[in-house]
Amino acid sequence: MDGRDQRDHRAGHGLDCPDCRLELQEYLDGTLEKKRSLAVFMHLRDCAACRADHDALQAVFSGLDALPALEAPADFDAKVLASVPYGAYQAMASLRRERVPVFLEEQFLPAWLRARATRVAGLAVAAAVAFAFAAGAGAGWLLAPGLAGLGPELLCRLQGAGRRLVGLRRAEG
Amino acid sequence: MFDRHQDLKTIRRCKRGEEAAFAEILARYRGPIYNLCYRMVRNPEDARDLAQEVFIKVFRLLDRFDEEYAFSSWLFRIASNHCIDHLRRNRMRFLSLDGVTGPDGEEFELQLPDEGPAPDTVLERGEAVARLEEVIADLPPHYKAITLLRHQQQLSYEEIAEVLQLPLGTVKARIHRARAQIQQMLADRSYDI
Ligand SMILES: [Zn+2]
Repeated sequence: MDGRDQRDHRAGHGLDCPDCRLELQEYLDGTLEKKRSLAVFMHLRDCAACRADHDALQAVFSGLDALPALEAPADFDAKVLASVPYGAYQAMASLRRERVPVFLEEQFLPAWLRARATRVAGLAVAAAVAFAFAAGAGAGWLLAPGLAGLGPELLCRLQGAGRRLVGLRRAEG
Repeated sequence: MFDRHQDLKTIRRCKRGEEAAFAEILARYRGPIYNLCYRMVRNPEDARDLAQEVFIKVFRLLDRFDEEYAFSSWLFRIASNHCIDHLRRNRMRFLSLDGVTGPDGEEFELQLPDEGPAPDTVLERGEAVARLEEVIADLPPHYKAITLLRHQQQLSYEEIAEVLQLPLGTVKARIHRARAQIQQMLADRSYDI
């Protein structure tokens, strides 16, 4: 007998043919909830037409799942690895690790202020002024150049202290 | 399917510039990405170029990878989009017409001259495989990608939703329509598989 003739009858499990066909893909995917899956199973057992649909769809599923895989060419990795910007990643690694607030970054202070020469010169000026002050020159106007001389060193020190304070001390290397 | 935590560890090593970590990612994903590209474009040379470009792009954009998602999802998203763009660009070279738009806004592929595999390869593999390959090649790019993510990469609906950044319902509907279209195309060509 022609299975299509059965399309209209409910196979007695709360599922008619259109409903069953609607559920077939999820049924085969295994994503249908248990009760619904059982209803489809029972309907398929009793309905030749839907069973034929099921088998045809299952053949497509199996065919798609079984498409042969190809081996990538042997020299595949070389071209990719040759273009990775390792240096950039290495350079950024420490910055990325810390996510330091920008005012605590070394770059925040201009290079000339960070330079050792600037800081040594500043300290020398401050020391000379302090000596003159201690030697009894005693003039208040000497305080200003003294503090200005200390400036670069103080800024660098404050920056270091701030970084330590927020627990973001730069790891060596 | 792919080990998300293992990937994250390796990615963090990549971000420190460790060459071995990049090689590990390649070893893990070279096959899946190359095969996805191959099924998308059905040409081994184009597939190699596309897959290499995908990895190069991914390794250059590593800082933009959002660790909230699986690395594999991000990688598959970039690969799918890269192949879809390639197919569109190729189609534009052949046609100045706009694609026909289907009911859900999906573009339908206009039939293109398809070089296909060499005749001897068709004979080597089973005829059913060759027929299925031919039909997949003629699917619209979006349907092709989603079908491959499900059946070739064996991703779940949920994983595909993360890859394509689409709602789960849309993913299910699209996969169902893709498979229905495959079945229809097989029937239209009187292909039995
Ligand atoms: Zn039925």
